[in-house]
Amino acid sequence: MKVLNTRLITPRLCALLLLIALPLVSVLGLMTGPVFIPVADILSITLSGDGGNSQEKLIIEIIRLPRVVLSLLVGALLATCGALLQGLFRNPLADPALIGVSAGASVGASVVIVFGSMFTAGGLLLGLSAISVGAFAGAIITSVIIFRLATGPQGTSVATMLLAGIAISALAGAATNTLSYLADNDMLRRISLWQMGNLQGASWDRVGLCALTATFLAVLIPREAGALNAMLLGESEARHLGVNVEWLKRRLIIYSALGVAISVAVAGVIAFVGLMVPHVIRLLVGPDHRALLPLSALAGAILLVSADALARVVIAPAELPVGVVTALLGAPFFLWLLVVQRRRI
Amino acid sequence: MLKINSVGLTISAVPLLNNITIDCPRGSVTALMGPNGAGKTSLLKVISGEHKASQGRVEINRQSREDWKLAEIAQFMAVLPQSSTLEFAFTSEEVVALGRTPHATGTVRDAEIITAALAKVDASYLAQRSFVQLSGGEKQRVQLARVVAQIWDHCEYEGEGDAPTDGILLLDEPSAAFDLAHQLMLIDIVKQISARGVTVVMVMHDLNLAAKCADQMVFMNCGHCTAVGTVTELLTPELIKKVFSVDAEVITHPLQGTPMVVV
Repeated sequence: MKVLNTRLITPRLCALLLLIALPLVSVLGLMTGPVFIPVADILSITLSGDGGNSQEKLIIEIIRLPRVVLSLLVGALLATCGALLQGLFRNPLADPALIGVSAGASVGASVVIVFGSMFTAGGLLLGLSAISVGAFAGAIITSVIIFRLATGPQGTSVATMLLAGIAISALAGAATNTLSYLADNDMLRRISLWQMGNLQGASWDRVGLCALTATFLAVLIPREAGALNAMLLGESEARHLGVNVEWLKRRLIIYSALGVAISVAVAGVIAFVGLMVPHVIRLLVGPDHRALLPLSALAGAILLVSADALARVVIAPAELPVGVVTALLGAPFFLWLLVVQRRRI
Repeated sequence: MLKINSVGLTISAVPLLNNITIDCPRGSVTALMGPNGAGKTSLLKVISGEHKASQGRVEINRQSREDWKLAEIAQFMAVLPQSSTLEFAFTSEEVVALGRTPHATGTVRDAEIITAALAKVDASYLAQRSFVQLSGGEKQRVQLARVVAQIWDHCEYEGEGDAPTDGILLLDEPSAAFDLAHQLMLIDIVKQISARGVTVVMVMHDLNLAAKCADQMVFMNCGHCTAVGTVTELLTPELIKKVFSVDAEVITHPLQGTPMVVV
């Protein structure tokens, strides 16, 4: 009998490749932009704190470094949450939009953009603009509604959650469209730009907020890897393997809602990272969550930093929204992998 | 080991089980049989804890089913469902490894158990294959290896005297997808592990196959327990007619002396 190896590479090799790529793309991210900064200057500025000229130093410290770090964190959060949700829904095509977070965030952000002048003085909260706070609130409110709809006396039904997610997302979409219709030209542009995702608003405050969330999740999520693997067999099978499925589902929903809501609040809706990254990693190393979760985080970080770097140079001095770039970069790569995988089977 | 005391189950006002009482002593093999919709799987689900009994109670090791913690019970009770819905490309070896989830025996010991469990169900050659690409019978064999791996220490207990706790294995139509040779393999495995003290309860449709290994047969119909007894007591033309509405003859196996149902 011919032994088919269904994996392209081992998790160890994958981790090694990603750990090599991570610093490379980060430096690339620091180099690119309207002002090109050579590698030598970047190394001396970031490592020793001096060197380069004062303008370069300012650009690195105030603009590019927080932006690169923020992209790393947001990419890692989105990809990890995508992996969690795909495991929870036992569907490799699930993505964070399923639990209504993105749609809810859009409503929240749109409400603030359209009616913002009425109830905000334009102040900042933890470095977040009123739009970000609106997006975060919208995201959390919709995911709570969807979770409540899907939870009955028999426990949380993942199937109901999927349907409720689609319905609530449609409702939220209608609300966003209505708000867009009411908006004037400037508001409309801000809404649509926000929906394409961008990392221009990066600041050290936002980095701190994301880093806090990421640390919190990095401590808690790896503990669920074994239970998530058992969940892939089915809910009752997982229960027979000693997993308290009901509480596991709740924790996973809370973790992913929190992770995605924070990402959306600081960077807008960035499509595709949460769907594609875990999927690609799964094709490479298999579905074991003990490897999948950390590798997805690394790959998500790399993807978003590269996408953001590209977004700044493609039509320089103007910028493309990063969500457009992730889709442009990711979709063909994803398709290529699917075709390769199909040939192997 | 396993006692089912006047268990009833009603879901959405539909009575599925009615006053079922069965006693499964340690190391016994019980075959649940009956027409489709008789409540065999429902009963298995009450035992496995998926449904809570509406009346009566299930006792495991003299302790009520509800008093056991999930993680505790998973260490000695394994359940093989009718079919699997795994859609992620685990290798067969990884699927069997999931059976070790409730235990903290370490990767070296687990790897030994996984290899041995795959060998036991004649699936060693499938170890590196992707589970989603296997045939129905191969999938079911790998799943069987998974549940056997879960209670491996009970199936293969070789210490002095009785095992510290006794294993329970619940099988829902385990042989449905198997070819003839693997049906007989299943019977051998069931006999082997019950001899080590594991209590087996299985849903079966093939009367003759069940007759080869069951210590106790249970005929169910419309949520009721029609008859409980040994193979020879239950395999009579009258009872088979009553439960399955089929005219059958019962003859004796020329070599093994066990009853055989001929239709």
